Amino acid sequence: MTTGNGVSLAARGLTRVYRRGSEDIRALDGVSLQIRRGEFVSFMGTSGSGKTTLVNLLGCLDNPTSGELELAGRSIFGGGRALSERELTRIRREVFGYIFQNFYLIPTLTVRENVALPLAFYRKPGSEGEVERLLRLLGMEHRLDHLPGQISGGEMQRVAIARALVNRPEILLADEPTGNLDTQRSAEIGEILQDLNRSAGLTIVMVTHNPGLARLGGRLIEMRDGRLHEG
Amino acid sequence: MISRFQIAYKNLLRKKARTLLTLVGIMLSSWVLVSLLGFNRGYEAALNRDIDNMGYQLMVMAKGCPYEAATMMLQGGTGLRYIEQSMVDSIVHRSEVDKVTPILMQAFFDPDKGDGGGIAGYFGVDAETFPTMKPFFRFRQGGWFHDEQAAEAVMGYEAAELEQREVGDKILVPEKNVQLKVVGILERTGTQDDGTIFVPLKTLQKISGIDKITTIGIKVKKDADSAKLEAALYQLPDVQVVSFTQVKQTIMKLVATARVMVLSIAIIAMLIAMAGVVNTILMSVLERLQEIGILKTMGAMPGDIFILVWTETLILCSSGGVAGIGLAFVFARLSDILVRRVLPYAPGGELVAIDLKLALLTLAVIVVVGLLSGIYPAWKAGRVRPLESIRSEG
Amino acid sequence: MRGEGSIQMIRKALVFPLALLLLLVAALPALGAVGCDLNDPDRDVARLFPDSSGYKTSYTAIDKRGGEPLLREVEKRLGDRFHGIYETIDVPYTIYEVYSGRRKAGYIHGVNQKGQFGGIQVFVALDMEGRIKSFYIQKMTSQWAKKLRDPRFGRQFAGLSLRDFEAYDPVAGKGSGRVAEIRNPAPEAEADFRAALRALKKNLILMDEFVYSAERGKP
Repeated sequence: MTTGNGVSLAARGLTRVYRRGSEDIRALDGVSLQIRRGEFVSFMGTSGSGKTTLVNLLGCLDNPTSGELELAGRSIFGGGRALSERELTRIRREVFGYIFQNFYLIPTLTVRENVALPLAFYRKPGSEGEVERLLRLLGMEHRLDHLPGQISGGEMQRVAIARALVNRPEILLADEPTGNLDTQRSAEIGEILQDLNRSAGLTIVMVTHNPGLARLGGRLIEMRDGRLHEG
Repeated sequence: MISRFQIAYKNLLRKKARTLLTLVGIMLSSWVLVSLLGFNRGYEAALNRDIDNMGYQLMVMAKGCPYEAATMMLQGGTGLRYIEQSMVDSIVHRSEVDKVTPILMQAFFDPDKGDGGGIAGYFGVDAETFPTMKPFFRFRQGGWFHDEQAAEAVMGYEAAELEQREVGDKILVPEKNVQLKVVGILERTGTQDDGTIFVPLKTLQKISGIDKITTIGIKVKKDADSAKLEAALYQLPDVQVVSFTQVKQTIMKLVATARVMVLSIAIIAMLIAMAGVVNTILMSVLERLQEIGILKTMGAMPGDIFILVWTETLILCSSGGVAGIGLAFVFARLSDILVRRVLPYAPGGELVAIDLKLALLTLAVIVVVGLLSGIYPAWKAGRVRPLESIRSEG
Repeated sequence: MRGEGSIQMIRKALVFPLALLLLLVAALPALGAVGCDLNDPDRDVARLFPDSSGYKTSYTAIDKRGGEPLLREVEKRLGDRFHGIYETIDVPYTIYEVYSGRRKAGYIHGVNQKGQFGGIQVFVALDMEGRIKSFYIQKMTSQWAKKLRDPRFGRQFAGLSLRDFEAYDPVAGKGSGRVAEIRNPAPEAEADFRAALRALKKNLILMDEFVYSAERGKP
């Protein structure tokens, strides 16, 4: 398989089977797709449709049971060889930023420290000054020294976004980013994501239940029983 | 911006009470440990000092005497065994011998000391040779006897204090009703000499109507073969030889038994403290599985997480250890008092001797043991897979 | 085989008891510093206060309670200076506070006094008003100690209080009223008899300063 210019992620025949007791559950069933650089792709589907499994595989959080994945022309999965945790980590910190439904901020660290946290483990060149720049960009400059318990849910997700972006990833993976937020805050987060995609050219891969949020992306993919139904 | 150390440190602040309790555990166990190690060294040094302060390393006494000497203290001097004073001459010429001094121990019953009466012990010592055996004696008032038959007494510090005696005062030998003049009061030595009343040998012999002695103190020449001398002295008729080196060894053996017990307690205390560390750290790892998973999505390697969690252990153990050692320094005198109460024989001076070297050694032990106990939780944290931990939310 | 081997045996047999002896002897001079304690407080308290249920021990000293001015006050009331190397401002005093149930029944207090041939320990048991319940000499070195330690001698003091001793001059050994009536059972030991009375007066003054004056001050 070859990927053309501007293709960020390319999957072919990605399959993930979980074992639950004596039963095999085929969460993802031979999915193939391409995501171009700068695309904003939303995955929708009922729970159990396999959308989170797919995003986890695309985000190198998990090894597929079978199938291939290329990242900017470089083969990640393929040939049946599973990557070690260490190898996956190395890819993740180079390429991806992640945000989740439960923001997972560290309660004893301030907003500023939470955003700077990834830099304690890995520092990509050019990340200097990113913490303040991102927090300013996301309208959090007045909360730098607050603890997570002292800010609202919407603000917490902004902090999580800043944290995901501090090492200048190529792709932002968002798993239900507004699942814990009300309509108003959800819309704000949606705008931020859309803005990052348009002005900074950030590739975004998002899983959501929220149809309004899903439509923000340029491309909407529905999932059912571990297969894609692109609309 | 934020170091791993800060992350670890701030994480410990999350459950303050739990961290504090763990710290207290480590603190107490390191206190016990450092005090114990300090005692180990201090006690032997103090015992050596005490034995040096005896002035002589060997004692010759009549056979059966040690038992009787104990009885003398308890029952008032009945059944003391004596040796001939001429025996001194047969010993003094031996090549290993530096100095020899004859001693007569006598005990008199004083019916007006407390309710049932009490024993007043007197040491008859040779006015010429005894002072040279105790060159370290310092006088608080006065000095030694004026001659070897003088009706005079030199009192140990505590004996003088109890009897409220000053130089020039009189004392009365109970039973015999003989008056003696106090000519000297010694400074405190921290040994049994403090409670002793010294009288010229000939004077005490006259008072008690005995021309013999009970003991001969022998100072052995430096580098001389003490064991050979002991063996030779055993050839004298009806005597026993007591070597303070042996006495010391015996006491050290007695103390060693106590020490083993205390050491076991210290080790158990340390194990409990370390189980506390494992529990605290493991709990905090299990509570943070998702956070650890997130750290991994951010690019933290298993080794990074391992070190992060290990750092928490290190912070706990080293600060608890430092606090415990600090406590031990501050309360070293208190430990001394406690040890003195527990131990059968406590020499004078510092028993618990803690110095910087010992403190650092203990800290090293605590930290190493702490790091060992931190391995499992840290390893478990390092193995957390991001996906599993995040998914565990459901 | 009676040579070396048996010497070794004897040595081993000997060292252990001698070590024990050292332990024993070393434990003896633990007799208190300069204070004056009851020999056996449990037994003594029960003897002096037969209906007591318990007691509390407290320690105090002139330098802790009032320093130099208090020392001068005590000396003035006593009519004599503190002298010698053992009668000093920092001597600790042990006060036994005796209880009968929850009610305080009285006090026991002793002081050291320099006697002719040794230290004298003079104890009194006092009721809550400061009257002497009993007086006795715990320790005294003298040929005639037996007479002064006789309970018949001690009984002469029962019922007296500090007021009776105010006029007593310990230097001249002269008193008035009931104190003047107290007989010395051992005329040969006049010095020790006077010493005991001086100690008693000092004892009562100290108790007044340490305990009763504070209790009187209470509303």
